[in-house]
Amino acid sequence: MATRELMYREALREAIDEEMAANPTVFIIGEGIAERGGSYKVTEGLLAKYGPKRVRDTPIAEAGMIGVGVGAAIAGARPIVEILYVDFAMLGMDMIVNQAAKFRLMTGGDGRVPFIMRTQGGTGGGVAAQHSQSLEALFYHIPGLRVVMPSTPSDAKGLLKYALRQEDPVMFLEHKHLYMTKGPVPDGEHVVPFGVGDIKREGSDVTVIAWSNMIPRTLEAAEALAAEGISVEVIDPRTLVPLDRDMIIKSVLKTRRCVIVQEANRRGGVASDIASIVQEECFYEMDAPVEIVAGMDIPVPFNLTLEKASVPQKEDVVAAVKRVLHVQSLAAAAE
Amino acid sequence: MAEAILVPQVGQDLTEAKVVELHVKLGDKVKKGDLVAVVESEKASFEVEAFSEGVVISLPWKVGDVATVLEPLMHVGAEGEVVAAAKTAVPDPVQTAVPQTVHTPATVPVSATPAPVPTPAPAPAPVEAAVSGGDRASPVARRMAADHGLSIGRIAGTGPRGAVVLRDVAAAVAAAPAGGALELRTLQSGQGTPVVFIHGFGADLSSWRPLVARIGLGSPMMALDLPGHGGSQGHGAADFAALVDAVGATLRSLHGGVHLVGHSLGAAVAAALTERGDLDVRSLTLIAPAGLGASVDGDFVDGFLSARSEGALAAWMRRLVSDPASLAPVLVRATLAARDEAGLVPAQTRVARGVFEGSTQLFNVAAALRAYRGPCSVIAGRDDAIVPLREIEAAVPAHVALHRLDRVGHLPQVEAADLVQTVIARTVRSAG
Repeated sequence: MATRELMYREALREAIDEEMAANPTVFIIGEGIAERGGSYKVTEGLLAKYGPKRVRDTPIAEAGMIGVGVGAAIAGARPIVEILYVDFAMLGMDMIVNQAAKFRLMTGGDGRVPFIMRTQGGTGGGVAAQHSQSLEALFYHIPGLRVVMPSTPSDAKGLLKYALRQEDPVMFLEHKHLYMTKGPVPDGEHVVPFGVGDIKREGSDVTVIAWSNMIPRTLEAAEALAAEGISVEVIDPRTLVPLDRDMIIKSVLKTRRCVIVQEANRRGGVASDIASIVQEECFYEMDAPVEIVAGMDIPVPFNLTLEKASVPQKEDVVAAVKRVLHVQSLAAAAE
Repeated sequence: MAEAILVPQVGQDLTEAKVVELHVKLGDKVKKGDLVAVVESEKASFEVEAFSEGVVISLPWKVGDVATVLEPLMHVGAEGEVVAAAKTAVPDPVQTAVPQTVHTPATVPVSATPAPVPTPAPAPAPVEAAVSGGDRASPVARRMAADHGLSIGRIAGTGPRGAVVLRDVAAAVAAAPAGGALELRTLQSGQGTPVVFIHGFGADLSSWRPLVARIGLGSPMMALDLPGHGGSQGHGAADFAALVDAVGATLRSLHGGVHLVGHSLGAAVAAALTERGDLDVRSLTLIAPAGLGASVDGDFVDGFLSARSEGALAAWMRRLVSDPASLAPVLVRATLAARDEAGLVPAQTRVARGVFEGSTQLFNVAAALRAYRGPCSVIAGRDDAIVPLREIEAAVPAHVALHRLDRVGHLPQVEAADLVQTVIARTVRSAG
């Protein structure tokens, strides 16, 4: 299939543009998204094309914005609410957790909440503790929410288009470090369904599961390990809810070793839950305990050196892979 | 120069062993290979053999004493020599390692054939060694070892803190004899055509020691471990024909004739070997032979394999004998310990599935027995609950001597040892 090189942010814009053109109930609101085209330029040009009724700036009032979005979704529209930092989504947690996530069940299945919250998280550039968090575990924990974390332009476009066609509240979590990254995006209609992971690199010695900005970092680690003769399979679930369990289990049964990399801090994280799934399904086929490489259990530091030290780096992934392959103990035994 | 025979290291972390049998007293002459004592730990008993010729010149222990491992159990030297001159013979590492790692009851090997050398364990880093357990292994390593009939305890681990990981099992599988030689040991040296003993299902070559010691033939007495048993547990033979092939290949390595003595499944293997034409079988003594009828006690096979406690195993092993009192508790303990320590159950289960189907024997050697023209004796107990005597009687041809023993079960060599020794000696001698 023919592809074009697009930036992550351009791919997102294409998805919104195409779906707004196709479906008049799609609209987008957020801080500075209309006149300014968004802080990350995702919505550039949409105001001119679709007008202020469908592309609308809001005050700095996240609780109100999310409430508007959830209410509009219940009323039959397909709202996209852009929250500048996932950290600020905390202001709207009642609407997300108690209303959006529950409404379909509490109406006996009649109600639908196709509410999309587009936001971004993660470290990158010293924006400190209140602008650097990876909070996917909070949403992952709440039944009724979809949690999407694209790592490439292609996935970003395909998953956002799918989000705008399905019926449940979606936490669409982008990464501030990825907006300027480039990658091939298929021409024409490109939709990526939820719950289907992607093997970003095939390998045979160890399965590394990562998502969002940990994917490029893990791919760098895999490249370095390949030079040492270690074959790493990199799996990107792309959506944490629903999770492609089958792909993960199949891969681990093949490689017999598993490392999970998350930028979020370790405690209570998604990686821990995936690790429990892996041990439950693959224990008797495994050659080493599951390793988790995660952020430290601390607020993300402002100082750039400390920020870097607080989240997984390429070297951390390399070291974890070697641990599950018992590389050190072999070297020690050979002495 | 006097040498000390040391109390064997009876387990990884054990410092003491109880002296349960002493086969020599002060002043007795011993020669290399003689069984001199049996000591036991909580888990297993260990036979101790002399590894040099001489006279017992010191014997500080009596039966029931608790001895310190690797201290002298006794000294062997020249007549009149005093112990003060004795040096402590430190057995080389291979010898000391064998009793811990090979099947039990184990011995300090003195056989003509080399003892099985456990894969040398690479020395782990000092800190790791301090905490390394006996059989740490990754789940998949454990499963794959079981699939191949290998014991985790016998594989050197290169994983964290000495754990056995996948690559170690893969290396062990690659190194294991696919169809190679079985464990073959000389129990007693001698001159002439060797007499080779083949044990039954679930036993091993050491089960012949008490019998062999008193047969009174000058021939070399040898015994082997069937595939999946004792030191041959890694051998992958999985049906009767494969067992016969494996034993045949091993015996051909002796380059000459053999007298065969077999018990139960081992007797059937011995009979089948006479048919092959590539092995000169001079005589055949079959004890409670399998393979002559269709029936076997399938409940016994299942129960024997699945028993995990001494009580449960004893309950099943009592079926082997007519008089429960003839089943020594030490035999049950040794069987259990050997299985636990070497992890024999998966390998033996594989063999059982290959030769038995429920209560049916999947092999028959009656035709081989009819065709065999050498001296041949069959010994069977009237109270055999495992292989019924009536089926043996029906299949034994007229030219073969059949000894039917009253108040004897499936183990005539235990319950009627004197008679079995006599019959073996007579059968071997009649071959000339």
